[in-house]
Amino acid sequence: MFNDTVINEINEIRAKYPDRKSALLPALYVAQREFGWLSQEAMESVAHALNLPAAFVRGTASFYSMFKHKPVGRNVIQLCTNVSCMILGAEKLVDFLKTKYGVEPNATSEDGRFSLVIMECIGACGTAPAMLVNTDFHENLTEKSLEKILDKYK
Amino acid sequence: MITITINDKEITLDQPMSVLEASRQAGIKIPTLCNHEILKPYGGCRLCVVEVERMPRLQNSCTLIAADGMVVKTESDVISEVRRGILEFLLINHPLDCPYCDKAGECELQDLVNKYGATAGRYKEEKRKVPESRKDQIFARNMERCVACTRCVRMCHDVQGSSSIAMIGRGGHTRMEPFTAESFNCEYCGNCLTVCPVGAILSRLNMHSFRPWQVDKEVETVCSYCGVGCSLIAQVRDDSIKRVIPKLGLGVNKGLLCSRGRFGYEYIGSEERLKTPLVKKDGELVQSTWSEALGIVADKLTEISKVNSGSSIAGIASSRCSNEDNYVFQKFMRMACGTNNIDSVSRTGFAAAQKYFEDLLGQGITGNMVDGLKHSETILVLGGDPTNVNPVLGLSIRQAARDGANIVVIGNAGGLEKFKTVQVVPHVFEEAEVLESLLLAVSKEKGVRGERPFVDKELRVLADRAPKTDVEGFEEAKKALLESGSTSIVMGMDLVQRTDGHRLLFTVAGLTYLLEARLYLLCERPNEQGLIDAGCVPEMLPGGRPINISDFRAKFEAEWNGTLPENDGLTILEMIEGARNHTIKAMYVMGENPAFNLPDSQSVKDALSGLDFLVVQDIFLTETAEMADVVLPALGWTEKAGTYTNLERRIQLQKKVVEQTGGMEDWRIIAELSNKMGYAMNYSETEDIMREIARVSPLYRDLSYNEIAQGNCLWPYHGEPLRGEVNEVPGMHDVDKEYNADFYLAVEKPLFHSGTLSRRSEALMKIYPEPLLKVGGSTAAKIGLQDGDRVQFTTSSGTIEALVAIDDSIKDNRVYYSNNFRSGGVFSVMKFNIDKVTNAPGIEGCEVRIKKL
Ligand code: SF4
Ligand code: SF4
Ligand code: SF4
Ligand code: FES
Repeated sequence: MFNDTVINEINEIRAKYPDRKSALLPALYVAQREFGWLSQEAMESVAHALNLPAAFVRGTASFYSMFKHKPVGRNVIQLCTNVSCMILGAEKLVDFLKTKYGVEPNATSEDGRFSLVIMECIGACGTAPAMLVNTDFHENLTEKSLEKILDKYK
Repeated sequence: MITITINDKEITLDQPMSVLEASRQAGIKIPTLCNHEILKPYGGCRLCVVEVERMPRLQNSCTLIAADGMVVKTESDVISEVRRGILEFLLINHPLDCPYCDKAGECELQDLVNKYGATAGRYKEEKRKVPESRKDQIFARNMERCVACTRCVRMCHDVQGSSSIAMIGRGGHTRMEPFTAESFNCEYCGNCLTVCPVGAILSRLNMHSFRPWQVDKEVETVCSYCGVGCSLIAQVRDDSIKRVIPKLGLGVNKGLLCSRGRFGYEYIGSEERLKTPLVKKDGELVQSTWSEALGIVADKLTEISKVNSGSSIAGIASSRCSNEDNYVFQKFMRMACGTNNIDSVSRTGFAAAQKYFEDLLGQGITGNMVDGLKHSETILVLGGDPTNVNPVLGLSIRQAARDGANIVVIGNAGGLEKFKTVQVVPHVFEEAEVLESLLLAVSKEKGVRGERPFVDKELRVLADRAPKTDVEGFEEAKKALLESGSTSIVMGMDLVQRTDGHRLLFTVAGLTYLLEARLYLLCERPNEQGLIDAGCVPEMLPGGRPINISDFRAKFEAEWNGTLPENDGLTILEMIEGARNHTIKAMYVMGENPAFNLPDSQSVKDALSGLDFLVVQDIFLTETAEMADVVLPALGWTEKAGTYTNLERRIQLQKKVVEQTGGMEDWRIIAELSNKMGYAMNYSETEDIMREIARVSPLYRDLSYNEIAQGNCLWPYHGEPLRGEVNEVPGMHDVDKEYNADFYLAVEKPLFHSGTLSRRSEALMKIYPEPLLKVGGSTAAKIGLQDGDRVQFTTSSGTIEALVAIDDSIKDNRVYYSNNFRSGGVFSVMKFNIDKVTNAPGIEGCEVRIKKL
């Protein structure tokens, strides 16, 4: 369960909305930050804090693929391999990530540093290939730039 | 007035409704899937589409409100094509395993595809695979068959209020799951089963053992577990009950059931059922014959009534037996045995409260329809958790809460935790202070009503004493009650099983009186009301007529051909006391288990063992039956016909469903005995008894099975209620004690259990297999307990070991343990004081020490 500081934070979120359900998505982000991913305990904590049924919390959370539904590494790479990115070499980047960092799609590197999620278009076709690392946006990727960027994420 | 045209037919509607409802009213069928009578319109499946003139696109008829002048077509080529398309989509991922699925034959998808679907699908890809989950003990969840109509989720959330399941995932992967995706861990009402249109949620109780069209018969009857008296349909094959289902629109429950009613039927076919009479020989109960056993009982009772007098015999009747059984029982005790010592375990709760309220406020004060709860502005709940004791009644309170009613809970809220709007948690055992302050406040505002002199007088006494309370929530509770235009009060028996029970009852009576509230008494067993009406109370003849009024005596003596016994009868705890001091020599127990179901059960056993003669008539060898000199096997629910009177005082028919086990109907056993003892009873079927009751009982006057079968046999029937009035209640203001122990033991009334019956029901035992010690969060924190810890708890009379369950709805320092399991009920370690006004046992103040193991 959450400690008092987190409970207060969620109460503040809750105060911004007319009803408890509306506060659910932001509260789930808080839970994800606290627990690393949306574990059962994380969702139960949210249910408790917002006084919503746990099944309802899980139903809502499970609709959104941008929540972490299983344990992930310290940094999550979301790389697009849809048409534009693919044409401009995204698939090579997937291989590169695998050989260089030991991380495969939908999995986490052994050292727990990176998890890789393959995305279907992140709206950056004009500057493909593109990816998100955690919440940071990176474009016009090459193997070299990729390596340099990832250096910053330990 | 709204006029619309559907398929060229002009239809006038007298109230606003959807196009779908309007069509149905006009007898025009529109296919639906996500729509369900019990649920609100949802507009999810689009099978109900119709063409509406001057509206673009097809419209969902279930969510489209009929407007004046609308012209609607429910069938056309376009509509058919759309429906065909929707069904084809639904079948894309469907495993097409109908030959193997239990739902086939009553599956809405199958029927729809049969009527509107394409002959073949075009989908060639791999289907989505989701293995059937049997991780729950009761439900099989097959998500390949799910059509994502969300009916189950809406049922669970919008009607049941349990909110235990949800739609998980997105798009083609959407499926229904409970929170953990494994066990449902819910209220197990099974109401989601009722609404699932396909075989996606199925009961595992009789899986793959019959087809819906293979039932030999379906019998409409009434549940045997609690005083709500839900109507249900028992489906039978090969003379055994295969399934119990509710029927939409029928009875008190209108399509809903609780776990006990739906899944608890198995006890009737239990291996443990008694099949032959047993007689004690050399200290052992051995098999006997009816003639030997009845002979012994008749001789022994005759002898004792001659040698010692009738008043040394006592009879305990049963709130699980029918009105007919109980009527015959009390007539037998009074006329054949010559005693007014007739009572039941109901005296420890319902019967005591009922008598108190009727004395004060008149007969029928508790005869209120469960439906009325839904129309209340404020509902005051106290003395127990309605959602556990009378689950389907509890649903009406939850419904009222959803509709905006104030739910004021005094004490722990249990299953109303998410529904309460105001809660007052009195300091432990100081409910009287809170309630008296509440009553005083209401009385100040409302003034004197002047209809009941005793109540008015007591209110003045109260005003002089001017009680006060500073408990949190009190002001809100007061406001909710004072501002309410329509109030209901729902009272559980925890406040009756108190040494100061009468004081608490008085405050509730006062509130009922001043607020002109509807009063509901929670009623644990199916026929507690009927038992009283049948005359199974020491002081009253059938119809609630006081036995000490000579006019009534004379009338019954004429009807019954004999003289009624003179002595005042004893209540049940007095009978036990009588057995202890040998003034009671013989006891006849019908369908009851006092050695287990009365508090301080060990001392009750000790008292019973001092009897010269104990007869027990039951369907199982209960703790009491084990001590008996003669045990007579009776028939159970579904093996015999009769009537029950529920807590609203609705009389309902119970029908024979399966063949019998070898026992006899309770009334027939008694009638045979009576004949042997020289008091003639000539009934050949239950209807004969009802005919007699309808003749002699001023309350059930002129009632017939025919009329009862119509289903609307509601209080006050054609009867004449008595206007009650007392002038004095001795000892009204006694009782003052200090309570300062760390923890107190209280009785848990679990949703899934009733005792003797439920522990022989496999399904209920699977849901709740062993008793748990329920503790609140603060208690757990104080002792350092976690869910699932093993503890030992000790009172002044014993120790029990159990697992702990933390229940956040418990806000005080009570800990709860049930009296439903064979291995150590809570009553084995609870002593009691008698409330001298109500004769109910006060079991509060049971200090308990808890040790973590
Ligand atoms: S059985 Fe009742 S409580 Fe459980 S999931 Fe179904 S509807 Fe909900
Ligand atoms: S399980 Fe049944 S009721 Fe629930 S969504 Fe699926 S098909 Fe509908
Ligand atoms: S509420 Fe009572 S009568 Fe209705 S199904 Fe449940 S136990 Fe039976
Ligand atoms: S029944 Fe109308 S949309 Fe499903």
